[in-house]
Amino acid sequence: MDIQIDAALKRARGYWFIDGFTEMAAGGLFVVLAGILLFSGTMPQASFPGWFLSVTSEIVIAKLIGILVAILILWWLKDHFTYPRTGFVRGKRVTATQVFVIIRSFILFLLLPILALLAASLLIASAPTVLASMPAWFPVGLGLIWGGVYWLAGEWMGLRRFRLLAVMMVLTGIAIGVWQFAMGLPTFPSNIQSGIFRPIVLETIHRTLIRLGFLILISGVVLMISGLVTFLRYRKENPTPNAEES
Amino acid sequence: MSGSLQNLSGLDRVIHEPARLMLVALLSSVESADFLFLLKESGLTKGNLSVHLSRLEEAGYLRVDKTFQGKIPHTEYSLTAKGRTAFNEYRKKLDPIIRRHSKPAKL
Repeated sequence: MDIQIDAALKRARGYWFIDGFTEMAAGGLFVVLAGILLFSGTMPQASFPGWFLSVTSEIVIAKLIGILVAILILWWLKDHFTYPRTGFVRGKRVTATQVFVIIRSFILFLLLPILALLAASLLIASAPTVLASMPAWFPVGLGLIWGGVYWLAGEWMGLRRFRLLAVMMVLTGIAIGVWQFAMGLPTFPSNIQSGIFRPIVLETIHRTLIRLGFLILISGVVLMISGLVTFLRYRKENPTPNAEES
Repeated sequence: MSGSLQNLSGLDRVIHEPARLMLVALLSSVESADFLFLLKESGLTKGNLSVHLSRLEEAGYLRVDKTFQGKIPHTEYSLTAKGRTAFNEYRKKLDPIIRRHSKPAKL
């Protein structure tokens, strides 16, 4: 009986994601952000700081506008498509305590292990080596963080596809990391001289950001596909109220 | 009779009924929900659902808010503080019973 209660609790928690619209919107936003990152990476750049500033400002603007537009579209879609079919649910207000618990869990179970790994790698290898391998480990780390977030969300709401998305994100991060290793990482001089060191660091950061673009792009496409499949299944299982009555 | 089994007689009978338990569980993890959502998720008939919702309202566990969206009436159901406390108490009492009696018996 307790299992049934738990299932009911999870079903209600995950109702917002029942139609796949949120995944499609999030995936679309990811694709736009990745597009900005990858497109700007191919453009000829005058200087790294200038490129970095223009990309980050474009991403911040795209994020703000994208989130606002996505929320408005989601509200409209839910009002006209989801609520007439399977009903309206007002989500629980998140309390300050809950926010604290979420942040604490995030730090304890995701951020701390990754930082510990990074610290351990700094002890084993030299700082330039760790920095040089940033295009490999950064996508792996981000893939792990996203995967962890999706896994926890899947557990919380009983959504099996979120666990699948988590695995996909982790695997994508690892695949990009392996690809970077296979490509060969920038070599740093053991004797650090600021004049030589700086361009290599900037090159490493540039390369890392472009590889992150691939991770964001693949994750976005996977999210959009997952959302589309969920939407098609939802539409099939829940016909329009008029069609149901006739 | 073991202590945990004696707890069974103290279970809240309003919530203990399976259909009402399902409704309270659904409402406990959201702020409020409408009739259609509860109908779809519980799998009850409209008549049955109305009866169980009325029973919960009578017990003071459920609040009913009737509004209009344009010209269409819209009814939202939410658990009261009393309802949430009763559900939490119910789970607290039920948990040890399930845990104790789901363990395999020692020979």
